[in-house]
Amino acid sequence: MFGSFLKTSQVKSPWLLHFDCGSCNGCDIETLACLTPVYDVERFGIINVGNPRHADVLVVTGTVNQRNAVILKNLYDQMPSPKLVIAVGACGCSGGVFREAPNVLGGIDKVIPVDVYVPGCPAKPEAIMDAVVTGLAKLKGILEASK
Amino acid sequence: MNLNTLYLAVAGLVLAPLLGGLVAGVDRVVTAKLQSRMGPPLFQPFYDVGKLWSKVIAPASHWQGLFVRWALVASLASDVVLAAGGDVLMCFFVQAASASFVALGAFCGNSPYGKLGAQRELFQLLAYEPVFMVGILCMAKAAGGFDAFSIMAAQGQPLLFKLPLIVPGLLFAVLVKLRKSPFDIAASHHMHQEVVRGVYTDYAGRDFALLEIAHWADVTVVLWICSFLWATGPLQMLATGLVFLFAALIIDNISARLTWRTMLKTVAPLTLILATANLVWLYLE
Ligand code: SF4
Repeated sequence: MFGSFLKTSQVKSPWLLHFDCGSCNGCDIETLACLTPVYDVERFGIINVGNPRHADVLVVTGTVNQRNAVILKNLYDQMPSPKLVIAVGACGCSGGVFREAPNVLGGIDKVIPVDVYVPGCPAKPEAIMDAVVTGLAKLKGILEASK
Repeated sequence: MNLNTLYLAVAGLVLAPLLGGLVAGVDRVVTAKLQSRMGPPLFQPFYDVGKLWSKVIAPASHWQGLFVRWALVASLASDVVLAAGGDVLMCFFVQAASASFVALGAFCGNSPYGKLGAQRELFQLLAYEPVFMVGILCMAKAAGGFDAFSIMAAQGQPLLFKLPLIVPGLLFAVLVKLRKSPFDIAASHHMHQEVVRGVYTDYAGRDFALLEIAHWADVTVVLWICSFLWATGPLQMLATGLVFLFAALIIDNISARLTWRTMLKTVAPLTLILATANLVWLYLE
């Protein structure tokens, strides 16, 4: 019983770490909009945290470039497992409009493994919330498979 | 020690943290409603702790795990002392030890935010402990004994009528202990502010889950001691505890965080003077 409670808890309490990797801030505004009373992500138990050691889900907006790839990797490594990564916006998925820039490496999956991709420029808050829920379904699958 | 005391102690050990978790759940639901949000389910804090428990992460320092466990033991011990009708002053000192262990653990880590939070935790101790202690002295003087049972057995007239001036001090202690604005100075209540998570920053995974349980136990103790003000029956005590909780929630939602200087230089002396005046008045009476 304790084991199943722990598994339910993991799905019901996703704490997000939001990292602006190289975004134009469009996607960041939409991500933070999820916290407002209109969308209220806390009803899913989601909390926006500022500390990778407390986070379960890494939400990354924007492209990866030569300078911030290390930081992104560092944040990812500091998170306790099991962890999810969500790439938000066209930039996070593939590099978007910045794709051809000389310093840009591309989407964030060039540096860390991504679980859910959220398309859009900027991505809608509904789509970002849906991505977290999709990611949690994936996590639930992994937890159940490990039984 | 008779068997009854033992039962009460065990009940305190098990129920007090659970009650604290429930308080945290009520807090989140009510706060969400005050902000016209739907808010999480009532049992969300339990899910959070369950989640943290199942996380795999190396501690920031191997000393931290030890301090976390000591903090948990001290917090639970203060619950047990209170539930078994022990000395309220003793319970209060044991709880202060718990807060010091949390700060010591944070000093062991590497995070500058953790260390800053630990220093602020010590400032908080310095600010609310004297006020809270004088509050307890007032209660003991008015009720005629330091043990929880004799304070709770002061039936008839509620202590509140003899101790009106300690209410601001108790509310101050509740705000600090619940880590609520304007006194969420050591560990910001919301987790993405300038001190990140203050004294809690370095704790993660299972250690953090244990700390959260210790925090629940602390909250129960503080609200319990506040409820002595109207101890004419269990329901009245519950109502008094809830009044303090809701007052704290409303103050939290309408105020911004103060600096530790304001807390230490203005709020602490002011509440201390009021509480001391009450104590002097009791002696002169
Ligand atoms: S996807 Fe669009 S809105 Fe989002 S960071 Fe890129 S350019 Fe900005």
